[in-house]
Amino acid sequence: MEELYRLISDNCASVIRSRLSTDKLCEVRIYNGAPIRVCYDGTYYFLCKTGLTKDASSAFTAGPREAEETVMRACEHSLYTVTDTIKRGYIAVKGGIRVGVCGVGVMTGAALVAVKDFTSVNIRLPHEVKGCADAAVAKLLSRGLGNTLVISPPGAGKTTFIRDLCRNLSQRNHNVLLCDEKHEIASVSNGIPMLDVGPCTDVISGTDKQKAFEIGIANMRPDVIIADELFSADIPGVRRAATCGIAVIATVHAKNRSELRSKPDFKEVTEQGLFKNYIEISDAPYRSVSFYESADL
Amino acid sequence: MSTHILIVFICAAVGAFAGYTVMRTYKRNFVYLDGVCKIVDELKRNISYRRDSVATVLQNTKTDSSLLNKHIEKYIEFAHGKTDGPEIDKMFLPEETYRKSSEFFGSIGKADGNSQTDQLKMFGDAFVKMRGEAETKYLKFGAVAVKLGFLFGLGIGVLTL
Repeated sequence: MEELYRLISDNCASVIRSRLSTDKLCEVRIYNGAPIRVCYDGTYYFLCKTGLTKDASSAFTAGPREAEETVMRACEHSLYTVTDTIKRGYIAVKGGIRVGVCGVGVMTGAALVAVKDFTSVNIRLPHEVKGCADAAVAKLLSRGLGNTLVISPPGAGKTTFIRDLCRNLSQRNHNVLLCDEKHEIASVSNGIPMLDVGPCTDVISGTDKQKAFEIGIANMRPDVIIADELFSADIPGVRRAATCGIAVIATVHAKNRSELRSKPDFKEVTEQGLFKNYIEISDAPYRSVSFYESADL
Repeated sequence: MSTHILIVFICAAVGAFAGYTVMRTYKRNFVYLDGVCKIVDELKRNISYRRDSVATVLQNTKTDSSLLNKHIEKYIEFAHGKTDGPEIDKMFLPEETYRKSSEFFGSIGKADGNSQTDQLKMFGDAFVKMRGEAETKYLKFGAVAVKLGFLFGLGIGVLTL
């Protein structure tokens, strides 16, 4: 959590340190000149000197350039180290913290070349809940590992879930290839994963999923590939892995199965049965895990 | 007589010491600039491959200048959020070196990859030129300053008799 305290102002850090449980803290949202919000145990509050409040008037207010200052602190005052990820909307910070960034895009033709005048940041904190995927892993293995899609709304714990799933499969001697595009599953620092992803996990960080799938399949002989936040552009990679006999476990943003089916990109995929299993995680704070087969869809 | 010799000796020693101080200042400025040039080179190398933060590169770079090492420490404290700015001490630095060095520590890391590379090239060229001048000054005038100081002191000593 020291990394979080480095990113935020001293008064906010001291309140979080003394009055809040970091296990329940999921997000710190900073908007220039506006009250600072936190997501605590699945609910949004404002941060104030006594802890949490629903009253914006008593909340800590961010400075007029607080977002930019947070960005500079997040990149240790070395903007060139994060230019590429800022263009994709985030900065990966040590310890698995991901800072979502909003600002004004600088375009050259159709290409986004930089982001300036940062307006707000969302500091998202990782959580390790060991054992949260035990039941799902047991079920997956009993049916034979196959392509699996983890469906969940944002903030329900997809990343935490697949991290534990990764650790669990890795501990069972499966060769796991983890595509950690945004550095938030394993949070590799100086070549060492800061979060527990298991002993048999190969981690490719900072590379887009298509490239990571290509490299991993060709060189690492994985039994399972695990990736976060699948998009339509990543589907060919899943197909390619499937033809090589490799199971892909990935997450996707959707409230439930019916919302997934309504997405044009995934309609075809679900109909073709590319994914054998579906795991649905309900919204916070309940976060119940349900297991479905392709036929149930 | 022995008192006279002692006075002359003391004056010559003081003069030589003053000259040595001048030479040492020239040398420290040269060593400082040599260290900065090494840092700029290291940053340029790093940015083309690893792209570590400035603080990480500085942490792994050792220089022979104690003043530059202090400036590096201050920058690292700033980068880690312990201070508000990378302000550096002037100490023995000539105005031009101090100004350029402040500009370097104040602006490094605030641009994207390509702009940072261009900026480092610009700083590198400026610091290499300044290092060359500082080296010439140290080698050419440093030894002369000691000799002149000694002779000047000796002259003063003789004149006071």
